[in-house]
Amino acid sequence: MTSLGNTSQAGTFTDPIPARAGIGLRSVHHQALLDQRPPIGWIEAHTENYFHDGGAAVRALERARSIYPLSLHGVGLGLGSVDGLDREHLARVKRAIDRFEPALVSEHACWGQSGGEFFNDLLPLPYTAEAVSLLSSHIAQAQDFLGRRLLIENVSAYVAFEHSTLHEWDFLAAVARESGCGLLLDVNNVYVSSRNLGIDARAFINGLPRESVGEIHLAGHARVTTPDHGEVLIDDHGSSVCDEVWELYRFAIARLGARPTLIEWDTHIPALATLVDEARRADAVLEDCHVIAA
Amino acid sequence: MSSLRDLQRAFASALRDERDAGEAGAEAVRPVANLAVYRNNSDWQFRNALALSFPVLKRRVGDDFFRQLAAHYRKRFPSRSGDLHWVGRNFADFLAVHLAGGEYAWLADLARLEWAREVASVAELRSAVGVESLGQFVPEELEHLVFTLQPSLQMGASDYPVVSVWLANQAENASPVDQSAGAEQYMVLCRDEGLLVARLSPALFSFVSALAAGAPLGKAMAVAGFDEAGLLEALRFTFAEALVCGVQSEKR
Repeated sequence: MTSLGNTSQAGTFTDPIPARAGIGLRSVHHQALLDQRPPIGWIEAHTENYFHDGGAAVRALERARSIYPLSLHGVGLGLGSVDGLDREHLARVKRAIDRFEPALVSEHACWGQSGGEFFNDLLPLPYTAEAVSLLSSHIAQAQDFLGRRLLIENVSAYVAFEHSTLHEWDFLAAVARESGCGLLLDVNNVYVSSRNLGIDARAFINGLPRESVGEIHLAGHARVTTPDHGEVLIDDHGSSVCDEVWELYRFAIARLGARPTLIEWDTHIPALATLVDEARRADAVLEDCHVIAA
Repeated sequence: MSSLRDLQRAFASALRDERDAGEAGAEAVRPVANLAVYRNNSDWQFRNALALSFPVLKRRVGDDFFRQLAAHYRKRFPSRSGDLHWVGRNFADFLAVHLAGGEYAWLADLARLEWAREVASVAELRSAVGVESLGQFVPEELEHLVFTLQPSLQMGASDYPVVSVWLANQAENASPVDQSAGAEQYMVLCRDEGLLVARLSPALFSFVSALAAGAPLGKAMAVAGFDEAGLLEALRFTFAEALVCGVQSEKR
């Protein structure tokens, strides 16, 4: 059997995340993953779920970390909030990074708090020079504090701001340039936003700086029909990746080259084998890319 | 043009109150109706975090009433962190006020028990020491021994039979528990094999609570009203449940 990578004396992976498919680690799969050790390239965990001193989840991640390369993906920093960088939350992220030594650390291009209240959602930013400046400044401060480069993910959008003066891809490129961060391209989010707001999904992917994209996310979404506004796509991570998103993913890989690709599933979570099957499908796309490149 | 600060303030108002959506959206976003997606997401995230912390309470009151409680609670105690894990920390106190005097007042104590489980579940798990650790002390020192207990230990007491309710409701459609069964005391502890919720006698509850508060063994014994046999039984329980992770003598 081929080894998945090298482990250090501490029993954690020292290899970078490979350009293969991985899966998002959720607590319902902890035991199955540790028992079955499926042939996936890496795992990604939500940083906030592992802030604690102890508990079953922390112990499971410590064990999983000795088997698979790890990425930590945050959902709570709200880096685009005008109220400022959440230093307390950032300190917890650093503690998690020091403890689990992930190969990648990522967050979102969004905001999440106002007036001391947190909305615990990935709220959209207007694509303006002011927002580029604020988000870039917060990312740069976070990177300095963490001693790590962050990958910043595009979020699904349900509204567009009248004030936006940039395309979303130009906004993200400017943030990457100003802050030195990398980008996490969520292909499902591009698709959801494109359908909800009439954005050209391929132009989005073509507009990103190729060298900045360090990871890709794939997930499912829900379709909701409203009486007044027709169909709205909701980024619920509750189903298989749809055909249109697979097609967009192939387009992205053809343009960007092979990138570590994650299968995310957060609601209506199926058996681990279903996620592994989805990862295998993504691996096939990545393999095609290698063949074509060769 | 509005500043980013103004936009986020207006957007936040629209999330808090649907009636503010028109004002926020009219000048800022399209389509305004889709602000409801963010409002629903935010509501769901908050409510789901509460439901994960208080599964038995939710099962007892049903989805609709739980939704109402969560909405009232969120207005009074909105999320103050990007980490939703601790969002339920004030829920028991909130319920104690919100349900005071009514037939569901006991739900506040059920919430305290479930929150104790939540806190215990993510605490550090230390290696326990066995009863043989007492062998290093001379008999005269025993009453001066101070125990370090597991960081996960949570103690609770209620005028209602909340442990019985909690135990009975580990499955759907549990039979009602007789509320006249009276007061119960309990401890919650995280162990390798999972969380332990143990009903304790009043004396044992007093004993373990005293130890947890740092009282020496002699004082804990007096607080619990134990004779020598009672103390031995209590010590046997304490070590058997892997509660103790260190023993020191006050006199050393």
